[in-house]
Amino acid sequence: MPSSRESILAAVRRNRPEATPLPPVADFDGAATVEQFTHWLHFIGGQVIHIDPAQPLEEVVRQLYPEALRVASDLLPATVPVDRHTPTAVLEAVDVAVLRGEIGVAENGAVWVPEANMLHRALPMISQHLALVLDHQSIVATMHQAYAAVQHTGSYGVFIAGPSKTADIEQSLVIGAHGARSLVVLLR
Amino acid sequence: MSHPQRAAAFISDAERTTWHDETLWFVRQKRDKAVYGIPEFQQLRQLASDIKAHTLSRLDEYLEQFERNAQANGVTVHWAADAAEHNRIVLELIRKAGATSLVKSKSMLTEECHLNPYLVKNGIAVVDTDLGERIVQLREEAPSHLVLPAIHLKKEDVGETFHLHLGTPKGEKDPQQLTEAARQHLREKFLIGEVAITGVNFAVAETGAVVVCTNEGNADLGVNLARVHIACMGMEKLIPRTADLGVFTRLLARSATGQPVTTYTSHFARPAEGREMHIVIVDNGRTRQLGRPDFRNSLKCIRCGACMNTCPVYRRSGGHSYDFTVPGPIGAILSPNIDLHKHSSLPFASTLCGSCTDVCPVKIDIHAQLYKWRQLIGEQGELPATKKLGMKLLSSVLARPGIYRLGGKVAREGLRFLPHGLTHAQALNPWAKARELPAAPKQSFRDWYAAQVK
Repeated sequence: MPSSRESILAAVRRNRPEATPLPPVADFDGAATVEQFTHWLHFIGGQVIHIDPAQPLEEVVRQLYPEALRVASDLLPATVPVDRHTPTAVLEAVDVAVLRGEIGVAENGAVWVPEANMLHRALPMISQHLALVLDHQSIVATMHQAYAAVQHTGSYGVFIAGPSKTADIEQSLVIGAHGARSLVVLLR
Repeated sequence: MSHPQRAAAFISDAERTTWHDETLWFVRQKRDKAVYGIPEFQQLRQLASDIKAHTLSRLDEYLEQFERNAQANGVTVHWAADAAEHNRIVLELIRKAGATSLVKSKSMLTEECHLNPYLVKNGIAVVDTDLGERIVQLREEAPSHLVLPAIHLKKEDVGETFHLHLGTPKGEKDPQQLTEAARQHLREKFLIGEVAITGVNFAVAETGAVVVCTNEGNADLGVNLARVHIACMGMEKLIPRTADLGVFTRLLARSATGQPVTTYTSHFARPAEGREMHIVIVDNGRTRQLGRPDFRNSLKCIRCGACMNTCPVYRRSGGHSYDFTVPGPIGAILSPNIDLHKHSSLPFASTLCGSCTDVCPVKIDIHAQLYKWRQLIGEQGELPATKKLGMKLLSSVLARPGIYRLGGKVAREGLRFLPHGLTHAQALNPWAKARELPAAPKQSFRDWYAAQVK
């Protein structure tokens, strides 16, 4: 008896329609502006805060999260060291994660965060709050430009657009489902 | 039971039906607003449709390319011909991992395969982690919508369910409070999860990556804390290039809920160090659908749910009335491929207004396929007797002008003289269940015309 793999592929070959061309990679213009990015991030429940590159990041974070005891980050002196081997119990107690975002998308407020920027894959979601540091020159107009800039999505990477949310109960929007309860983009 | 019988149960609560109808229409309006903001939206729909058409025309090649790249990433790829094989593979992986429980994020495929009851029967505790899915799981119900699984429920229902299962205060019905309770309850499950199952929104052939889109972050939280990740996908989820994700991520959330994008668009290609990743590719009738020229376009579906939100029948009959994993217009063209006899009433759950086709982000000709399934169902003798008889009677009347004229006259006179209780008797005239018949005209058009030309 042939394996399911073989029988499935054989059935596809038997049944597939006549070949049609693959359209060229889509690319549409759009406004790659801080204004658009800010508008959409606010629309989806996030926040943009402009920071002075000269100001130490830890000051900014302390002002923003005065009650946060456990801060995980590789961009400032962290109070919880996190790497890929950090046990779940430690991750779970993180109040704020401050991570670098690579690319911002103006049309929807999403920020590309590749695995290399996460310290631990679960950190951006398990942390109670998330702050992403983004260079304002890294904002692109649409997802087309974003994927063109990313090129290869790597081992693991996520576009994060605003805080975790749900509307599963009567379509009422609730911020803070399973992931971060708030999301701030620190734009410099 | 047929769709009309199940729908009758749903609409017996008029207030709730109206609420359901209006809520889904509100989602449709949010979709419109999001769509109108993108000048190239119609071009994107065409592109998405063309990319999917191309992929289906070379599906075998893309499947093999995807498998090669996934394997090179250290992922184990499994193939399942049907639901039973899919379930066996998943159970074996869980047993190999030595786990007795798992966390699962949203996957319509595992619903289609009835994975949960199978695993539970085999002693595995399954926790659905999407809030809506968790709610219906606790209530032992099926999801009633592709992206809004608990849309058939009111907050009072959820409050009662959570009071019973999560110990929230009796009478608590605030969505914020209930969601917080679910967050706490499910965090415990995430922290101890050894195996995480996810669905797949897109599988990229050129990289071997699978893309999962959620708003809650439950897929990422589950996968990134578990030792083993099992991603279950229908074979039609393939797209050729990473760049194609630009097209589909711009369409998906806008079409589904009117959001500009889902909160998390996650790309899983390689397991983290010391962990495992498996992908199960499932056929379960898809190659058969691929071989049906009239219906193969249904395999382009990206499961956004836009066709449900706009459908006048779905909005007023509820997802459960379809009794199929995928309800609504798209479910009505997918289900007869799986079991024509069982689902023979679904293609008739439509006014053929074509609104589903208009909103479909991948341009599936849904209403045309509904019409074509009706023909097949008729040919295969699966029409209910009343419909068959009614059609026969009607065609014999319409084919005989004399009888037609007489019939018209009898009806006009009859309506005027017969008592309302008889002409609107529900047993004799189901059309009049919630409607008034129009006042009978004094003469037929034919008589009127004859008088004019005299």
